Amino acid sequence: MSKSKRTPAMTLSALALVVLSMASCGGDPNSPGVEYMPDMYRSPAIEAYVDFGQDPYMFTEEVAMEQRQRQGARLPVAGTIPFAADPAKAEFNMPYAYPNTTDGYEAAGMYLKSPIEMTEATVEQGKAIYTKFCMHCHGEKGEGDGGVVKNGNYPTPPSYTAALKDLPEGKIFHSLVYGKNVAMGSHASQLNKEERWLVVQYVKYLQNGGKMQLETAATTATTAVN
Amino acid sequence: MDVPPKMLGMPLVARISERSTGLLYATLAAVLFLFSGIAHAQPADAALYATGEKLFKGNCASCHKPDKDLTGPAMKGARARWDVKGDIYAWVKNSSAYLKTGNPYATELFAKWNKSVMTAQALSNEEIDAVLYYADNYAPPPPKPGAVDASASTGTNDEGSNWPWLVVIALLLLVVGISLSGVRTSLDNAVREAEGKEPLPDMTTGQKFRQWAWNNKAFATILGLFVVVFITLKLWDAAWVVGVYGGDEVPHYKPEQPILFNHTLHAGKVEAGNLAINCQYCHSSAEKSKHAGIPSTNVCMNCHQAVAEGRSPEGTKEIAKIYAAVGWDPATLKYTGRTEPVKWVKVHNLPDHAYFNHAQHVAVGKLECQECHGPIDEKMDVAEQWAPLTMGWCINCHNTKDVKMAGNGYYDEVMARLEETDMGHAELKKYLEDEKISVRELGGWECAKCHY
Repeated sequence: MSKSKRTPAMTLSALALVVLSMASCGGDPNSPGVEYMPDMYRSPAIEAYVDFGQDPYMFTEEVAMEQRQRQGARLPVAGTIPFAADPAKAEFNMPYAYPNTTDGYEAAGMYLKSPIEMTEATVEQGKAIYTKFCMHCHGEKGEGDGGVVKNGNYPTPPSYTAALKDLPEGKIFHSLVYGKNVAMGSHASQLNKEERWLVVQYVKYLQNGGKMQLETAATTATTAVN
Repeated sequence: MDVPPKMLGMPLVARISERSTGLLYATLAAVLFLFSGIAHAQPADAALYATGEKLFKGNCASCHKPDKDLTGPAMKGARARWDVKGDIYAWVKNSSAYLKTGNPYATELFAKWNKSVMTAQALSNEEIDAVLYYADNYAPPPPKPGAVDASASTGTNDEGSNWPWLVVIALLLLVVGISLSGVRTSLDNAVREAEGKEPLPDMTTGQKFRQWAWNNKAFATILGLFVVVFITLKLWDAAWVVGVYGGDEVPHYKPEQPILFNHTLHAGKVEAGNLAINCQYCHSSAEKSKHAGIPSTNVCMNCHQAVAEGRSPEGTKEIAKIYAAVGWDPATLKYTGRTEPVKWVKVHNLPDHAYFNHAQHVAVGKLECQECHGPIDEKMDVAEQWAPLTMGWCINCHNTKDVKMAGNGYYDEVMARLEETDMGHAELKKYLEDEKISVRELGGWECAKCHY
């Protein structure tokens, strides 16, 4: 009697275990699950962000562990000059000459001039970059009312139409390279020099109240503001 | 009324009993204390506070905080610090001119704050007074409502978590059923015994089942077929989602990350109380490179130099992890030089034999990030894999999506070449039958487009 009863109970509990373990497997958001043929997932050649060391067919566990601990993303060697496919744009890849000091900032304001002529097309390009990289703090019109300032209790950037109305383009560029004060960091890693100058163009456009202006009209006024 | 002589001079309330005097004084003290508390939270001169706040936000807030050091020192107590050591008005109006007078406190301040020149402020003495009044009486604003908590998780697959319970209930019913059948057998035997018949043979469940199947052959066959077909179909379905960690059919892959970066808080809409930072601010290589890029910690520090506190204590802890990685001391606002990498866990694992390029899709295809990554700015804190990333998913989009041809030199060239010959022209006409040109029609279904 007791023997005949135990069999279905054991079968059932085993079934329940299998079902539950399957359920827990599928629901674990931390588990990358099964990977068919890892040698087709993991490139034997070095590929950015791919943990090729996880392939059990290529490495022993020790080597794999060591591979996993390696740092993937790195800075280029200091002084690296990017290759320019377009020789006309080669000057954008030259190192930046002004040092990250108060004197460097003032000097950039005096002598540094945009190599890009301001046209409607460049302002348009500048606007696209401004929207992605500046607007969340400086606001749509550059009045210092972006989402980060509104909702993030962030230090308010000075307005392009008031305190920074006469800020020369060299100083804007300098601030993009090194950052300004504690509240604005360096954007050199996100924007290359051409993109920085395009942003400067759009800032000049905003300073002028959203109108195109004659080239070097305000930039020749090298009065040391800010 | 029999009043003791020493109490005659007291007011009536106090006269009621000697003990109540103590109570009265305590109440008075409490009321005074309460008022002093209110006076602290709400400055006596609200108008001056408001003027000061406005001036502070317009002129000072990009370098100073009222209660914390930023580029310059905390403004609270600045007047007390200057006191007799120098002229704070002259310093605010033109610090570099005031430095030249050789005031020792000014020189000390200048040296202490990295020799960064404070911008000359065109403010009157009264306005400076207002700003200092605001700073001295500063009360931090209440936290924004609707703030998204970094620790709060958004369950995207809640409906899927029900079925283990259903299985448990089904098993319980089965157990009940089996015990009931056991009871029935005993009852049957009892009846048989009473009627003087032989008891039923003691059979195991398997034997009983086989006997039942033998007696009901047709039904058992149909049932068996159904079971086999059902299991096969289930296995077939399951095979389709092996190695798939996104999409509608499976729970999304959402690994725990070393830093619980909250995508919704950073990239969500302003109206929802979020910061509305563009995705590409941090993933800036998305339009230039094959990879969208994991931002290096210096990008975090572009803002977090000035933001050390999250909206919740948990958020503050996560920000501290960035500081540990990048080597930043929030107390001195300086880099220590001791850095360590953040070990992010890769979420979207596309097999190596499939080529995918972000720049193609973002810069040329002009797709929004959300089209593949889901509502990451609305309800995803820690990133998860939204799309299934199966080949079917890829080529379905290549088949239906129309190519945005305008303003792209590559497509201009394609169009020019198509219109050059009669054959090309006919082909183009065929493409445009549904009034759009899909990626497939331009070769987006060629194997070698993605597999090479």
